[in-house]
Amino acid sequence: MPSLSKDVKAQVEATRLPPILSLIEQSQLIKQGAEAKVYKSTLFPSPLCTPSSSSSPPPPALPVLLKHRFPKTYRHSTLDALLTRQRVTGESRALVRCLKAGVKVPGLRCVDVKQGVLGMEWIEGWSVREVLGGGQEGDELPDEDGEEEEEEPDDVQEMLKGLGVDHDSLLQAVGAEIAKMHLAEVIHGDLTTSNMMVRLLPTRASPNDPLFEVVLIDFGLSSVSFLPEDRAVDLYVLERAFASTHPVSLLPSGEEGVPHFEQVLLGYKRAVEEKGKKGECSRIEKRLEEVRMRGRKRSMVG
Amino acid sequence: MVKRAARPCPLQAPTKPVLALGLEGSANKLGVGLILHSPPSADSPTASTSSSDPGSVSILSNIRHTYVTPPGEGFLPSDTARHHKRWAAEVVEKALASAGKTMEDVDVVCFTKGPGMGAPLQTVALVARTLALMYNKPLVGVNHCVGHIETGRLITASPSPIVLYVSGGNTQVIAYSQQRYRIFGETLDIAVGNCLDRFARIIGLSNDPSPGANIEKEAKKGRRLLPLPYATKGMDISLGGVLSAAEAYTRDPRFRPTNPPKGKGSSTSAEDPSTIKINGKTGTAMVSQEERRRRAAGEGPQASMQDVGLSTGPKKVAKVQLEAGGEAVDVPPPAEGEEDIITPADLCFSLQETVFAMLVEITERAMAHVGGREVLIVGGVGCNERLQQMMGIMAGERGGSVFSTDERFCIDNGIMIAHAGLLAYRMGYETPLEETSCTQRFRTDEVLVNWRA
Repeated sequence: MPSLSKDVKAQVEATRLPPILSLIEQSQLIKQGAEAKVYKSTLFPSPLCTPSSSSSPPPPALPVLLKHRFPKTYRHSTLDALLTRQRVTGESRALVRCLKAGVKVPGLRCVDVKQGVLGMEWIEGWSVREVLGGGQEGDELPDEDGEEEEEEPDDVQEMLKGLGVDHDSLLQAVGAEIAKMHLAEVIHGDLTTSNMMVRLLPTRASPNDPLFEVVLIDFGLSSVSFLPEDRAVDLYVLERAFASTHPVSLLPSGEEGVPHFEQVLLGYKRAVEEKGKKGECSRIEKRLEEVRMRGRKRSMVG
Repeated sequence: MVKRAARPCPLQAPTKPVLALGLEGSANKLGVGLILHSPPSADSPTASTSSSDPGSVSILSNIRHTYVTPPGEGFLPSDTARHHKRWAAEVVEKALASAGKTMEDVDVVCFTKGPGMGAPLQTVALVARTLALMYNKPLVGVNHCVGHIETGRLITASPSPIVLYVSGGNTQVIAYSQQRYRIFGETLDIAVGNCLDRFARIIGLSNDPSPGANIEKEAKKGRRLLPLPYATKGMDISLGGVLSAAEAYTRDPRFRPTNPPKGKGSSTSAEDPSTIKINGKTGTAMVSQEERRRRAAGEGPQASMQDVGLSTGPKKVAKVQLEAGGEAVDVPPPAEGEEDIITPADLCFSLQETVFAMLVEITERAMAHVGGREVLIVGGVGCNERLQQMMGIMAGERGGSVFSTDERFCIDNGIMIAHAGLLAYRMGYETPLEETSCTQRFRTDEVLVNWRA
């Protein structure tokens, strides 16, 4: 009976993993982020794209980052499926928009909305959080893998210092990159120091340029807007993240230096004034002031 | 597990037992508790207390009296203050009696300084001042939220968790850093308890024992998930829109209220049905001012005084840990061909699922950001078992665990104020009489937590 063979076929299909998930199975888990598991994998360029006749060696395999929004069993499956779909499409659209505008973000490699997988360019570097060396302090928790996490930032900081990357220029570069993103009408929605990477450049673009660039990652909560309100809220989220993890930089003398966020804002304003519309910068600044006031108003009642 | 060079805990073990009386009344619960911190003894190790606190803690009494309003109504500050005034003396007496102590034995009187409703706070502060002056005892003003966190840590013995504080007035994700409880995420508008309570009022659920508990009960009967706005912004959430959207469903032609809007609720009908007018549109019951005053003065239907338990050990504490393949929602989908209606149960279910998913998401975000493994849920909404279950699944997936307390310590109580106040007192802090005012606005991160390393 034809229907039976169809059923069997469907069953076989059902047991087979979707291709993107079997790729993930062979990949290396990098970390479990807030809402997704992040894997490192390699993609080989398709033989159809490379001329087979050429004697040159095949192009190298590309490292890619796979971000899998795995089903969250704590939430209702309908809600989960809806949110995953919205976020995968939203994130890929935001990335494309940023890429078009020249904002430093990871390039898009593949999208699977149904499985909730996004493939992106692999960024070699460190998160700004690692570079600044913040985190939850307090009772030192006995933590099996805490050791390596603790030690790395020191090495990173030493190495970056050797390359002439100081905190101030890094923070200003962060601000400038956010400004570029905002001018592309993208709102990140979750600006934290964990969501920014520092990548070293092989050469300086021009003698005055730094040897590193800041790459914004994780556009999972991004939206599209050009309103000063949304931009200000975006900045405010970052300010709060700074305030809770790394409030100020410590000067070598042990004194407290300029708050980190001030440096970010400095870089941001400079970039908006340079590339944005006239008066745009002051509008955002004014709105940020308002958002701060409003944030304070939630000074907890009850 | 190897304990790495931990910073020394600044809190020294007490040289003699110290007894604190805690007075809480920031909202509709009046709570009085007595707590004793004693020096560590050979036979009782410090296991029952938080690991950073040398010495042992025992809870001697924990008495609470709740002001319960009729269905469809919230509690007004003036009436709540009236209720607290009415019951303060009796609750304090009962707390002392059940602990077998007198005011002379008390070393310090602790009270809620804020945040909360102004009038009830003032009433309780007045009681605290009176007791302190009558018996010549020092006073300590306590931040309500810090009280919740410290009690949660005490009861669950979780040393340094990420704290989700969810109650009628507050919704915050908190982590400890550098002697402050820092707020990582919070609600941008209304608190989650407020959202649930107000929705309970809209659909006319009873406020006894609490609107949240009745929502939870109702939600278990819910069968379909209705789309509601899902608003997380970074680590913050917004709940106002969710409430409006849920309310809008009650005007949907498919909506079928289960309780006919007349003569509902056992607590109102018996007393004086003639005073209750029904505003048909929203189903809000209106109660005359005299009736409200009467109830606040303790004459109407009331939850009786509760002795809410003494145990310090985490034995009755729900420590939800994920077993492989934790159960998700166990509500069957609506059968085929079923009538397309929306019931209050469906709305409660959808509201809980959506709002709690948002809470768990921001907690997970904070965990990922600071690298914590343990979650502690405190505050009245923390009693909700569905929230505990969802959080347990999330934490389990991250290789962590969730700690929560039951209604004895989740819901506002005197012990939390006594415990947090005593910690500050042992660090040498006292509130001078001139500064024993209270404040409606008092952020968690304003408090110097100098008893932690």
